[in-house]
Amino acid sequence: MNNHELIRKLSAISDKLTGIEQKSEKRITLLCESANSFAVNKFLFEQLAARFCIATAIDSDKFFEIIYHYSYDQLGCVINLKVFVRDRQKPAVESITPFLPAAEWIEREIHDLYGIDFLNHPRMRRLILADDWPQGVYPMRKEAKQ
Amino acid sequence: MSWKIWSLKKSPWVFHVNVGACNNCDIEIVNCLTPKFDVERFGIKLVGSPRHADALLVTGVGTRQAAVRLREVYRQTAKPCVVFLIGACPCGTGIFHTGYHVEGPVDKILKDEDPNAIIAYVPGCPPKPEAIISGVVKALSVL
Amino acid sequence: MSEPLQNVFWLLLFPGLVFTLIIGLAASWIVRKVSALVQWRVGPPLYQPLVDIIKLTGKEILIPIQAQQTIFIMAPIVGLSSMILLSTLLWRIIIAPSEIFIGDVIVAIYLMIMPSLALILGSSASASPHAAIGAGREMKLVMGYELPMVLAFIVVIIKTGGQLGLASIAGYTPVFSISGFLAFLVSLLAIQAKLGFVPFDIAEAETELGSGVLMEYSGALLALWKIMQAMMLVAFPLFLVIMFLGGFGTTGAQLWAGIGKFVIVLVLVILIKNTNPRVRIDQAMKFFWVYCGLISAIAVALAIIGSLYGISWL
Repeated sequence: MNNHELIRKLSAISDKLTGIEQKSEKRITLLCESANSFAVNKFLFEQLAARFCIATAIDSDKFFEIIYHYSYDQLGCVINLKVFVRDRQKPAVESITPFLPAAEWIEREIHDLYGIDFLNHPRMRRLILADDWPQGVYPMRKEAKQ
Repeated sequence: MSWKIWSLKKSPWVFHVNVGACNNCDIEIVNCLTPKFDVERFGIKLVGSPRHADALLVTGVGTRQAAVRLREVYRQTAKPCVVFLIGACPCGTGIFHTGYHVEGPVDKILKDEDPNAIIAYVPGCPPKPEAIISGVVKALSVL
Repeated sequence: MSEPLQNVFWLLLFPGLVFTLIIGLAASWIVRKVSALVQWRVGPPLYQPLVDIIKLTGKEILIPIQAQQTIFIMAPIVGLSSMILLSTLLWRIIIAPSEIFIGDVIVAIYLMIMPSLALILGSSASASPHAAIGAGREMKLVMGYELPMVLAFIVVIIKTGGQLGLASIAGYTPVFSISGFLAFLVSLLAIQAKLGFVPFDIAEAETELGSGVLMEYSGALLALWKIMQAMMLVAFPLFLVIMFLGGFGTTGAQLWAGIGKFVIVLVLVILIKNTNPRVRIDQAMKFFWVYCGLISAIAVALAIIGSLYGISWL
């Protein structure tokens, strides 16, 4: 299978995405909103059988982004799924841990540092901040930079 | 100079503590203790418990979590003891000085615990094993 | 001089505590220097083991709150006193062989177990999980090597025609027969485990992340353990020399031969130490129970056959 086949497979879920970008031959970026994140992740992990690598969170001034990195090993292609979390007061997105247990710790880390709430996470606890760190202070947010 | 300090200079047993380092300095310390650099001729020996140690080799910037543990380890080190801060991070937090997790340079953490702590600084990022040996020997000779 | 005063002199000064300690410190320096030369480096100066002990006596003694204080403090004293007794016994037999008592082999074997027991007691009283694991492993190790070692010593007793006094055993050299040689090998490995040297230093440096059994000891109590280990380094090879290699003389050529035999045993211990990695406790137990046990049982059988039919080289 080559790149075109992969794009064709990805268009099966294009109703949930707001965009598909091909940055280079080995890199595809999918954009979607936070409400569709669970469905797209499930599609990528189960139907496409891509391998989940890690997730990254970014504080772009007006909204948060969570980027899920998948690797499609048959082609050596990296699929980045960018999820936009628009609500800055109560950022929330559905947790993908129920079907992808490997995501449990990275979601705890993102919650510790950014305050993004992961709904239905089985074991949401403090991961990397100190035990006596004050609740509600999220150090990686832009307003915490002072 | 009392006999306790004299015998401590001749036979300093070291214990290695990492309070939030990137592990570069830890690798250099482990290199330093291999047969190639032969620190046993100074009487230096690596021990596995702080209660047996005379010198603590501290690496790392001093994170908030590790500061609590470092104070406990310092309390458990039998006095008289010397603390060596290896690397730029414990000497003055290095490049991490605006980090959210940094409790402070390690000498501030130790002086909170014991104002009379004997502290020696070996800067570098990371210091070469030759620099570590030179720092330790120089510090011991002025004790 | 009155009897008790003379006993105190023998126990504490010569040839007991002070004399054996001086030779022990020199022996432990030899161990460190030879290990250094094998690794192509320089190694510590001559006074290093002495300065280690002086430094330890100058540090404060920290006792954990939850530790069993009496046993914590008494354990190194018990171990040290058994080593003082053993070394005095062995040296007195060498110096004055006419003052024997029958059965001092059994007393010596008994005293040789005491340091390991003291180690187990002291680490169990430490109230620390690392020390508890170290104590458990030391117990398993002792159960492993004691049986083959005692069988090896029984071989010597059979070969010398049933003598139970160390002074009379010292006249024979059982190592030049097949069963005696096998027994010597087994007891050499058992001594390696008793001294706590690689490949069997499972108890002490086992958690190099914790120092195992001696983890909670500091200051003068740790110095007592180190003194005990230095004396073990003299007493155990000396026991092997008396049992297998024909004793230690006191005058002239015999004295030099004795020193040479002691140095040979020490060098064998050092070479085994420097060429082997540390083994796991289950590997050590299998090694002692299966291989060493088998070899020493074969040696006992050969020795019995040899003494029954009068074949001296068997």
